[in-house]
Amino acid sequence: MSVFALDPAYIGGFGLSEALILIIKVVGAFGLLLVAVMLMIWFERKLVGDMQNRIGPARAGPWGILQTLADGVKLFFKEDLRPAKSDRLVYRLAPYMSLVPAFLVFSVVPVGGNFTSGDGTVTWFGNSTFLQVADPHVGILLVLALSSAAVYGIMLAGWSSGSKYSLLGSVRASAQMISYEAALGLSLAAVLLQAGSLSTHEIVAAQGGWNWNLWVTGLVPALVFVIAATAELNRPPFDLVEAEQELVGGFHTEYSSIRFALFFLAEFMNVITMSAIIVTLFLGGPDGPVLTERASWIWGVVWFFVKLVALLFMFVWFRATLPRLRYDQLMDVGWKFLIPLSLGWLLLLGALRVGRDRGWNTAAVVVVCVAAGAAAGVLLRLAVRSGRRESGELADAEADAGEAVNVGEPEKGS
Amino acid sequence: MSVFSLLVAQNVVFWVIAALMVFAALRLVTTRNVVHAALYLVGVLGGVAALFLLMGAEFVGITQILIYIGAVIILFLFGIMLTRTRIGDEEKTDHRNRLGAILAGLAVAGVTIYTVIAGFGDAELGADTRTTTAEVSDSIFSQYIIPFEAVSVLLLAALIGAIVVARRE
Amino acid sequence: MGQYLPVFALGVLAVVFCALSLAASRLLAPRRATRAKNLPYECGIVPGRSAPERFPVRFFLVAMLFIVFDVEIVFLYPWAVAHGSLGLFGLVAILIFSFAVFESFVYLIGKGALEWGPRGDEQPGGAQRRATSAVVRLGPERGEPGMIAEAAENLSGAPSSAATQESSTSAGRP
Repeated sequence: MSVFALDPAYIGGFGLSEALILIIKVVGAFGLLLVAVMLMIWFERKLVGDMQNRIGPARAGPWGILQTLADGVKLFFKEDLRPAKSDRLVYRLAPYMSLVPAFLVFSVVPVGGNFTSGDGTVTWFGNSTFLQVADPHVGILLVLALSSAAVYGIMLAGWSSGSKYSLLGSVRASAQMISYEAALGLSLAAVLLQAGSLSTHEIVAAQGGWNWNLWVTGLVPALVFVIAATAELNRPPFDLVEAEQELVGGFHTEYSSIRFALFFLAEFMNVITMSAIIVTLFLGGPDGPVLTERASWIWGVVWFFVKLVALLFMFVWFRATLPRLRYDQLMDVGWKFLIPLSLGWLLLLGALRVGRDRGWNTAAVVVVCVAAGAAAGVLLRLAVRSGRRESGELADAEADAGEAVNVGEPEKGS
Repeated sequence: MSVFSLLVAQNVVFWVIAALMVFAALRLVTTRNVVHAALYLVGVLGGVAALFLLMGAEFVGITQILIYIGAVIILFLFGIMLTRTRIGDEEKTDHRNRLGAILAGLAVAGVTIYTVIAGFGDAELGADTRTTTAEVSDSIFSQYIIPFEAVSVLLLAALIGAIVVARRE
Repeated sequence: MGQYLPVFALGVLAVVFCALSLAASRLLAPRRATRAKNLPYECGIVPGRSAPERFPVRFFLVAMLFIVFDVEIVFLYPWAVAHGSLGLFGLVAILIFSFAVFESFVYLIGKGALEWGPRGDEQPGGAQRRATSAVVRLGPERGEPGMIAEAAENLSGAPSSAATQESSTSAGRP
């Protein structure tokens, strides 16, 4: 039993009530995620159907709500194939590496509690606790670390399949995901500046009473974060990873049966957890009007899920509306626009806060910052121009390398 | 829960993690498949992160995952995937001079162990040794301000090096 | 309160869920793999070309740049959390740091490491570009008769008559 004491949360002892809270939270989050994924897949199909003037799934259950379950059951009975040229160990490992981080990200999201007039805790079995599975000190850093670990599943699935479509899909996907992860991390720093903490419940508490980061940080970080999150999730319009017209299914082309289902599950689970993270960071988490005094934490849960569904609707709407980007456009948006913009905005916010503490003239600070930003923008613009010219040399170098490989390898047959 | 049993528990978990790390490290050098080797390296680095968490250094532990597992090994894997996409074992991963390698490994281990023992002796961690992010921040921006700014120059040098190599290739 | 035990427990639960699903599929799904089924996907025809041996170096440069920004993020977060107590000194320190990183970023862009579109110094589709890029793209994956023969051999081992028929046609092609 003493092993539990390793966790600082249980230094006071790990009794029955702590164990019950732990089990309820973990099992509850696990079940919630699975049910939410099932509903999300149905929601997306039904909504896209409506937007395209179709009916969508309508057979299994009322309004076709059990369609996902039926599909899942079907996939259990499908043959599980492993391509002959695949790498056995890695091919089997990849679905785990994709799904496990998807589950874990959700553990730091506060899904309820009264942060408006209370401190956000609820009392279960005599212990006051937050409505989140875990509350690490560095919660947001953990989210970032897990989302960078999620790249492994995609990268290894594509490589280990031994198929060119999988490989092309996974190389594209990994480059895209790491590019946008930088933008994700930089835009998030503005929220930390506001909250002064990396812990998720403190970020939520700092937004209590309608001080949502969406407007407090000036819209730009939130917009950058949503765009970067869409790319990180490989959702349309950034779904080049599994561009069906050119890459079959991308990294999971060779996966069939339940292994494919696990990837599919992870993909939609990531949509849900990322939306939950956006709600936590920018939309005040469970913040909202508390309508009754008794059990006031329930209103937090209600508002949290209302916001979550609104964001999920937005992601589906993106898919139904926006055409897919080209690869060079995708990279240009990420590196040459979002990353410099979010870095500049963060420094602007930092300068404003320091200026306010030291009593500088706000207008003067803004003018200086805008001038510096404009100078940086001009520099970047010049660099992009010169880059267009210089890119030829890099391509030539690659061509030389390609020829060298061809010369080095003896021609087979023909 | 007494402090004594807490330390016992920490020791138990430490040895479990350490054993897993040693296993992963041995497989890392003995496997013939380069991608498998990179994955064993992920295991070793994940163990390091777990040890940091065990010692209450949360920020450093998660940063270890973010930087090493999330970026550096990804770079390795990119390097492997971009140059040899064929799957399977490789012939050239072995080296004849095993004795020299073992001796070098032992020497490095000896120096590291000596440094740790000389530096910390038998100092013990207390029951609650967590360092907060603010403390990390304070030490970066006071005691370690020069190394911190030097890091930016180092990164600059690394990027220039990368582009020079890429263009000459 | 730092809590990692629940995160660990959720992770274990997720692994168990994956393992149970795979075990259930092993019990329920048919296993009648033939060599033809185990070939890599190629829209129903015999796979002819393998994946390219090399990818453009730009992917590697992107990963390199990502490390740089990841390191910057890791230093930005402590500053963002404690910027109140660090005050002007912290702001200046982070500005110097960001400037150095931005500088290297601009240098990399200026050298064309993040250019994925058509080359700027030529018209798109110019003769020279097509020649060099054709070498890069087609070179390593120029039809490999060995692989086709191997695939055809695999197919002839398959029991289905359709597959045998297909293998005879593909064997007759080269």
